[in-house]
Order: sequence, then C-alpha cells, then structure tokens
Amino acid sequence: MSQLFRLIKNEHIKIYKRLGTWIMVGLLLGVILLVGMMTRFVFATDDSEEWRTQLITENQQFEESMNDHPAMMAGTQYVKQQIELNEYRLTHDLAPQVSDSLWGFMIDATTFSAVVSLFTIVIAAGIVANEFSTGTIKLLLIRPVSRARILLSKYVTTLLFALFMLLLLFSASYLIGLTLFGYSSAEIPYLAYRNGEVVEENMLLHIIRLLGFRSVDLIMVVTVAFTISTVFRSSSLAIGLSLFLMFTGPQIVQLLAQYDWVKYVLFANTDLQQYVNGTPLVEGMSLSFSITILCLYFIFLIMTSWAIFKRRDVAV
Amino acid sequence: MTKKQPVAQIRNVKKKIGKKEIIHGISLDVYPGEVFGFLGPNGAGKTTMIRMLVGLMKKSEGEILIQGFDIEKEFEEAIRHIGGIIENPEMYKYLTGYDNLVHYARMHPDKISEERVKEVVTLVGLEERINEKVQGYSLGMRQRLGVAQALLHSPSLLILDEPTNGLDPAGIREIRQYIRHIAHTEGLAVFVSSHLLSEMQLMCDRIGIIKEGRLVSVETVDDFVNSKSNAVFRFEVDRAEEVYQYMRGFIKEYDFKLINDKLEVTCERVEIPLLIETIVKAGFLIYSVSNHETTLEEKFLEMTEGN
Repeated sequence: MSQLFRLIKNEHIKIYKRLGTWIMVGLLLGVILLVGMMTRFVFATDDSEEWRTQLITENQQFEESMNDHPAMMAGTQYVKQQIELNEYRLTHDLAPQVSDSLWGFMIDATTFSAVVSLFTIVIAAGIVANEFSTGTIKLLLIRPVSRARILLSKYVTTLLFALFMLLLLFSASYLIGLTLFGYSSAEIPYLAYRNGEVVEENMLLHIIRLLGFRSVDLIMVVTVAFTISTVFRSSSLAIGLSLFLMFTGPQIVQLLAQYDWVKYVLFANTDLQQYVNGTPLVEGMSLSFSITILCLYFIFLIMTSWAIFKRRDVAV
Repeated sequence: MTKKQPVAQIRNVKKKIGKKEIIHGISLDVYPGEVFGFLGPNGAGKTTMIRMLVGLMKKSEGEILIQGFDIEKEFEEAIRHIGGIIENPEMYKYLTGYDNLVHYARMHPDKISEERVKEVVTLVGLEERINEKVQGYSLGMRQRLGVAQALLHSPSLLILDEPTNGLDPAGIREIRQYIRHIAHTEGLAVFVSSHLLSEMQLMCDRIGIIKEGRLVSVETVDDFVNSKSNAVFRFEVDRAEEVYQYMRGFIKEYDFKLINDKLEVTCERVEIPLLIETIVKAGFLIYSVSNHETTLEEKFLEMTEGN
C-alpha cells in the first residue's frame, strides 16, 4: 500500500514539474475568468422585478403552444414541468437564477467540465505513451514493482488530476462569481421536479451534483484515452481519437437515436442526467441499464490496458 | 572466482519474434566479482538478450535465474538484485539529477535513505551538478547518472548495455576503471555488452562472443589474448607452388597455405629456424620471412563474420 502511495507520488511529481501542466491549469482559470467578465460586463441582464412579468408571459406562451400543437407530445412533459416550476416561483417569490449571479454563474461554469475533460485527456494520453517515447520506460520497469502496479499508479494519478481540476473549477467559479456578482444567499433553493411535484433543494448540492453527472462522461473519455495510450504507445493518437469521440460521440448517437442498438453505444449512456430530467435517448433505457453498460465498457477498457501493458515486450 | 555461486544463470534461452527465431539457445553464467563482456556485432542479439535478462522482454524458451529467482515468475524478487542501464541512460529531462535518483529510490520496497542517494552521487562524481536539470547534462554526465541510478539499491548484478557509447576517450577510460573497481572490490557481477573488442579487452575478465543469436565462444580475456601466440609466418620463396607441395608432404601437422604466391604457415616462433632449414636444404631459395600476427580484432572478425 505504502509502495503504491510512493509510486503515485512519483507520477504526481512527473506531472506537476512540467510547465505544460501549469499552462493547462492557467487556461482553465483564464477561461472561467473570461466568461465571468463577459457575463458581468457585456451580457449583464437588468436586475429588477421584471422576472415576474417574464415568467407570466412565458407560461402564457407555453399554454398557447400546447393548445395549438397538441400533437407535439414529446415536448409536453417538459413544458408542463416548466409551467409548474414558474408558478412555484411566482407564488413563493423565488426569482430564477440569472447568469450574472453567483449561483447562476456557478451553474453555467459546470459546462467547463468539458475543458477539464480535454486537459485530463492530454494527461491520460501522455502518462504511459511519453515514457515509451522518451525511453524512460526501460528504467521504470526494471524496478522491483509489478507492471500492473505501475500502471495502476498511473491510472490513479490521472483520475486524481481530473479531481484536482474539478475542484479547481468549482472553487474558482465560486471565488470569481463571488468577486464579480456578489454573494447570493445560501437560502436560495434549487427547484427540482420530482415525481410530479416541485421540491426545493440545496443550491450548492445541486451544483456539485451537476459536476458529478459530468464526471461520468469525464471518467469514461479519460479511460478511453488512457487505454489508447497504453495500447498504441502514442500520445497524439490517444489525444486525437479521444477528443474526436468526445466531441462527435454524443452527436452521432443523437443522429442514430432511431435505431434501437444505439443504446449499447458508450456515448448513449454517459449522460445520466437524461434520467433525471427529460426522456432517455432510446425508449426502454433506464438508469440501471446505463450504469451496467458503462461498467461493461469500463471493465473492457481497463482489462485491455492491463493485459497489454503486462505482456508487452519493451523494445524502445 | 571458481567455486562461487553464479549471480545470473542463463539456461538455453531462446527468443522468437513472430516466426523468426533471433536467439537460438544461449546458456551462460555470470559470477560475483567478475566483469563479463558480451561481445558481438550490431544486430547479433545482444540487446534482445539483455532485455530478457532484465525482464523487459519475455523469453520464448529457457530459464533465467538471478540469485536463484526466476526473472519472469519471481520478477520482483529477481529484479531487486539487478541494476542496469539499457542502451542510452534516458532520464526525465525536466527533473534534476537528484530528483531522478529519488524517483527511482522511491520505487524500491526497502527504504533507500537520502544518505545512500548522496553516496552514489559522490561515487559517480556528480555532486556539483546534481541539482541541475538533466536537460543541461552532457552525455558523459547522463551516463554517470545512469550508473548512479543502477547502483542505488546496491545490486549484485550490474548490467550495462553499450556503456561507452558516445563517450569521449577520457570518459571511456573513467567508466572502464570504475567498472573494474566496483567488480573487484565490492564483489559485484558486471555484465557489459559492446560491439568493440578493444574496449572489452581492457574492461572484462571473461568474454562471450555472440553471433547471429548464438554464443560462439566464452573465454577468459587472458586465454583469448594468449591464443594468438600461434602467429602466421609468410615465406617469400622462388617456385612457391613446389615449395608448398614439398612442405605439405614433409611436415604434415602444419597447416600450410599458398597465398599470393607466398607460403603461409601458422606455427610457433621457435619452429621457424627448423622450417627455414628444411626449405633451404631442399634446394629452394628464401628471399624473406615475415611475421603476420593475427590481431584480436582479426580474430574477433573471423569469429563473428566467418562461417
């Protein structure tokens, strides 16, 4: 155990002693700050009592469209929820969270988990492949440590890097939001729609949950990158292929949603939020189904990496 | 060194890559306190053999034991007795020399103390530059850092793959003296590979010659050097063809050759007067006799290139 800990420490040193890592950290912070400034100074909304009239007109439009196009059944569930949420806000005097408020900004900032995915892919793609391309793998593997354990230390380090970046994203969006938009009361609840009724939930918890949902996608894409990195020993291939999958995967799945087999594709299952609000991609998919599929993909990827890394003849 | 237990036992090791067999059954032992030279031309299979010895490559057949532990089945037990540089000493360039050493020290299950790290740094004479990034090191410094890394855990078998590659003559000399020193004073077994005979001759106690994946000879350097005392003598005579026929019939145990109209014979120096006498008495004329010692280099080339 303590040996694994020391191996993980080694991997951390190798990541954080490199300038590139800090550039990525800087970019993440920069993007959050930039978007915060834009929201504050360019797209500022008029903060007033106008939200009441807005919500009332929104609800009127919803009702009209429901009456005009009763055939659009797919959207009705969503529209009904929106109407009920809006009414709840009006009766309880709860203004919706606009982007230029602390909570609103933090909710928006959770989308930057894509940036975290991107940078963690870069780390995952290099952590094994770079040892091969620089030749250091030879000195690394002639130590009294099993190859399986070395690979484990590298995988754990990759995941810890992702965690570090997510924590950075969370705390930076909080601090930047606080500086730019002032404090929002922790009393302001998040309104969720559960089992046919509106419930109030803790806002911070909601934001953490949003990040949690996005981590599922993050872990899967990063594991794909890690596997490609160990199997093909090429960091550029690992980065290219995983980014391609990350950006096109969900779209392709949407395009093919009419086919039933799509539900077995990895990217049809990475967004677990589809079960919380809205309808699943393919009818018949459930949360437990998706988790099973995700686990199967995960086990396959991990087993492939380990099997190949353990057997490989090192000839660099 | 005769009765000591070998540190490394290599038993009929074969390696196939695809369908092609590139190592055809090599067996040898390396003993404590000796420098064993693994000599062969490039492409003979030296590096493949070394990679199997340290577990970087899997052997297809045979057995490799390090201090009695199987390098594949008991990898962690076996490899802890080995320190090595495999080809170039590739280090993490963005770390300092010291950080590199600490990185490897951390990988060992038994604690390697800070004192030990400093000790090997002093041993290889890198104290002054050890806190600089490896990026700025010369090849010789990297080579020394490589040696430091290999000695960190006090191994009983030191494996050096082409250790003098890219070093200047002073650096080569330094490494050579150092290798001999640690083998003979600390009882380390050193396994060195090289394609340069001249270098091995000065560094090693025993030399194994590998050719096309086969071990063609294992000799002590002394034997190897002394076996050259049978030199080649060349006689410049008139009617060489006749002399050749005559001498072949006269002294059957010598291997006479006719090369470029000259008579050649491999024999010991003391025999020469007798041969001259024999030729002259038979009525032939001798214009000159010259001595062509086969150099080690020629012998080595003969062994590795001939059939």
